Amino acid sequence: MAKTYDYLFKLLLIGDSGVGKTSILFRFSEDAFNISFISTIGIDFKIRTIDLDGKKVKLQIWDTAGQERFRTITTAYYRGSMGIMLVYDVTNEKSFENIKNWIRNIEENASADVEKMILGNKCDLDAKRQVSKERGEQLAVEYQIKFVETSAKDSLNVEFAFYTLARDIKAKMEKKQEASNPPGGRSGVQLKANEQNRKPTSWLARCSVL
Amino acid sequence: MSSSSVEDIPEQIKDLFTQDGVLLKACLGRPVTDLNAIGMLCIVQNTDGTKCIEWRPNDLITIDSDTQDHEWAVVNTIGRRQRTLSGNLTADYATAKARIIKIPLEDLKTFRVTRNNQQMQFSTKPGVWQTTFYFQHGNAEIFVAYLKNHVKSAKTRHDRNTYMVVEPNIESQVLNKSFAELDIFTENTTDVVWNLVSNFKQRPYETTLEAFSKLTDIVYYGNEATNGKRDVSEEVAELLTKSMSAMDEATTVTRNDEYEVISVKPTLPPRPCIPRGTPLSTEKWDALKDTQGRITEVDGVKQLIFRGGVAHSIRQSVWKYLLDYHPWTMTHAEIRAHQKRKTEEYFSMKLQWRSMTDGQESRFSEYRDRKSLVEKDVNRTDRTHPFFAGDNNPNLVVLQDILMTYVMYNFDLGYVQGMSDILAPILLLLNNEVDSFWCFVGFMDKIVSNFDMDQAGMKNQLLQLQQLLTFASPDLAQHLAQKDSGNMYFCFRWLLVWYKREFSHRDIFRLLQVRFLLSALQSNLLGKQLGFKDNTAEGIYHQIVSAPHLNDQIRVILGHQPLNISTSTQSDDDPVEPSTSQVNGEKSILGQDVDEVMYTRVCRKVTPNILT
Ligand SMILES: Nc1nc2c(ncn2[C@@H]2O[C@H](COP(=O)(O)OP(=O)(O)OP(=O)(O)O)[C@@H](O)[C@H]2O)c(=O)[nH]1
Ligand SMILES: [Mg+2]
Repeated sequence: MAKTYDYLFKLLLIGDSGVGKTSILFRFSEDAFNISFISTIGIDFKIRTIDLDGKKVKLQIWDTAGQERFRTITTAYYRGSMGIMLVYDVTNEKSFENIKNWIRNIEENASADVEKMILGNKCDLDAKRQVSKERGEQLAVEYQIKFVETSAKDSLNVEFAFYTLARDIKAKMEKKQEASNPPGGRSGVQLKANEQNRKPTSWLARCSVL
Repeated sequence: MSSSSVEDIPEQIKDLFTQDGVLLKACLGRPVTDLNAIGMLCIVQNTDGTKCIEWRPNDLITIDSDTQDHEWAVVNTIGRRQRTLSGNLTADYATAKARIIKIPLEDLKTFRVTRNNQQMQFSTKPGVWQTTFYFQHGNAEIFVAYLKNHVKSAKTRHDRNTYMVVEPNIESQVLNKSFAELDIFTENTTDVVWNLVSNFKQRPYETTLEAFSKLTDIVYYGNEATNGKRDVSEEVAELLTKSMSAMDEATTVTRNDEYEVISVKPTLPPRPCIPRGTPLSTEKWDALKDTQGRITEVDGVKQLIFRGGVAHSIRQSVWKYLLDYHPWTMTHAEIRAHQKRKTEEYFSMKLQWRSMTDGQESRFSEYRDRKSLVEKDVNRTDRTHPFFAGDNNPNLVVLQDILMTYVMYNFDLGYVQGMSDILAPILLLLNNEVDSFWCFVGFMDKIVSNFDMDQAGMKNQLLQLQQLLTFASPDLAQHLAQKDSGNMYFCFRWLLVWYKREFSHRDIFRLLQVRFLLSALQSNLLGKQLGFKDNTAEGIYHQIVSAPHLNDQIRVILGHQPLNISTSTQSDDDPVEPSTSQVNGEKSILGQDVDEVMYTRVCRKVTPNILT
């Protein structure tokens, strides 16, 4: 069957309940926002195909429930993910503090080379802000993870965040491809990541705060 | 209109399956002018009971949907309208008739499917493909699936697309037949359903009717179905998928020297028809109480409600009993006193959190966490329903108060996402804070294991679901396992909040009502009868229970005593990997591609009815 895309990336959204994961995903996939969303129970997903440097990249994005109680179910989805968005709510201190726990969760359950990104959501609610942008940036530097503040409501940086994450995954994938295909012998076909040849530190150097 | 008489029809044959849009590509001994004509490929039964594959050119077929001649009412799968052969038989009829191609199943030796499901060839003599058909819709596999129930066939070893006929199989397979006919109205309306049902009735296939007893549901309760979220076509699509999974190659392949023999796997017996009773009426409900208001025939009442539901006007009152708020054997006076006590108890618990100062709260993180979860969810509960819509809706305050009071009632359990979903329909129905609270408590008691901290209750249910599915539809279970979905996590939400998110409120009232009764029935009435959401589900239950290969594992899941014949949970020939590891999170749904995900979505629609 003919493929309608060049790459398929599996992404995951995690973070405390109510930080806006579903809203972010809805903004990205439907370009809409709905104030009366329903909480996510278990898992859900959405699809969007984007164009990245001439390649069709299909993003299969999994949205998880934030509540602790569902952790055993949601962590089952970490393993296959190539990119993970860690979301907190800038109007909720606790959700920011919990980012550390979420990162630990990733370390325990996701593959070691998964691409990550931290999103400080609801930045439109400046009056209610509890977490400054600087603190978000600090955390990102500490963990060497890219960071951006978003608003699902005002459609701020949501596209940018997903494109950035996807681009990083693509770059890493192509790098691996080159590593396993000596120059000149490029097949042009998407290659399976070779876990053995992986250089776990290589991506750290590229990561910076945006 | 029919201008000819029945005598013109040379023989009384019955079409068992018809497939439109089939071109005759090649046929030994036929003039070239006969080729490339479009027509209908059928499996027909002759009066003497023998069967053959028959191809009829389209110019022989006229459309006559008004026909009274039901002997000839042929429902075909592609045209989605009725066709008969008794139509305008012209002078050319004889010549046209000569162009009909018949391949008796007795003579059929081999057949094969090639070119992406677009071409099918038949042979009655080894080494020669006498006839070649081209399927315009590329769906030859459906024909094969149907044909396989009339002939026992085996795939050859060298060519997976070629089948050798082992022996003609005289028994007609009910489910396949139904499938063929169901396909007709995937995009049609109630009228077509009616036609179909009347067609069924005129045919001597009561079994077909039984298997699709749900059809009558659609027709008789059709108005309800269309008023709800789901429309008729959706129901029909669901049926279709069900029947597909039921018919889905009930076969296993074993190797032989020459070819692989396809043998029939143990399948479920035909689904019995479980008629739905009439709803419990106000009069009946009142009559069930003695002069002082006691209800003594509790099991009987439960059976009545279970079978037929209740009139909406008394649902409020009935739910209080079903949810263990009002004890069945209390008199009116006792209930009044009981209610008074419960009201006081409620408000004292409510006061506990209402009187908490900000300072207290700031030093009570566990309470704060629970409160914040409640607040977040209350704002996201059924906000599209008028009862909960809009800013500053007072019903949201009630929702919040009840959930917060429940936190004080059961602090260890606290608030778990999904609880607001369960409370919402109760509050909507009762529209009373205290009553709703205690009914919610009653419901939570029944499903508390869904909210276990370690999710043990959910994991166990998902495992049982997987085991039931493996038993009832091994092919679907295997497919899911292959797509890394054998852990059944995609059913998590359905089970956690009892399909609350999947149906309209109206349907949810009925569904929850059955759920209230389930545990009661499981403990009291089991062995007699166990029921489900509707008669289809119960029919499936009976199918499973009466399956000859029923084992203890399944028996226990269904609430029966084990017979200790076979206690192993995973037999060697079990097609699905041990699911315990999957439940522990070793498998992930992320392995699948999107088409496969879509498949999972289709399954979503189907499984709740099959397995609840
Ligand atoms: N002002 C504002 N509100 C937002 C934004 N994003 C989400 N919200 C609101 O925050 C609430 C929670 O959003 P969800 O998207 O449901 O949160 P979630 O992270 O998916 O929560 P769980 O499914 O419980 O894990 C909703 O009421 C949204 O309307 C945002 O960017 N700005
Ligand atoms: Mg969500």
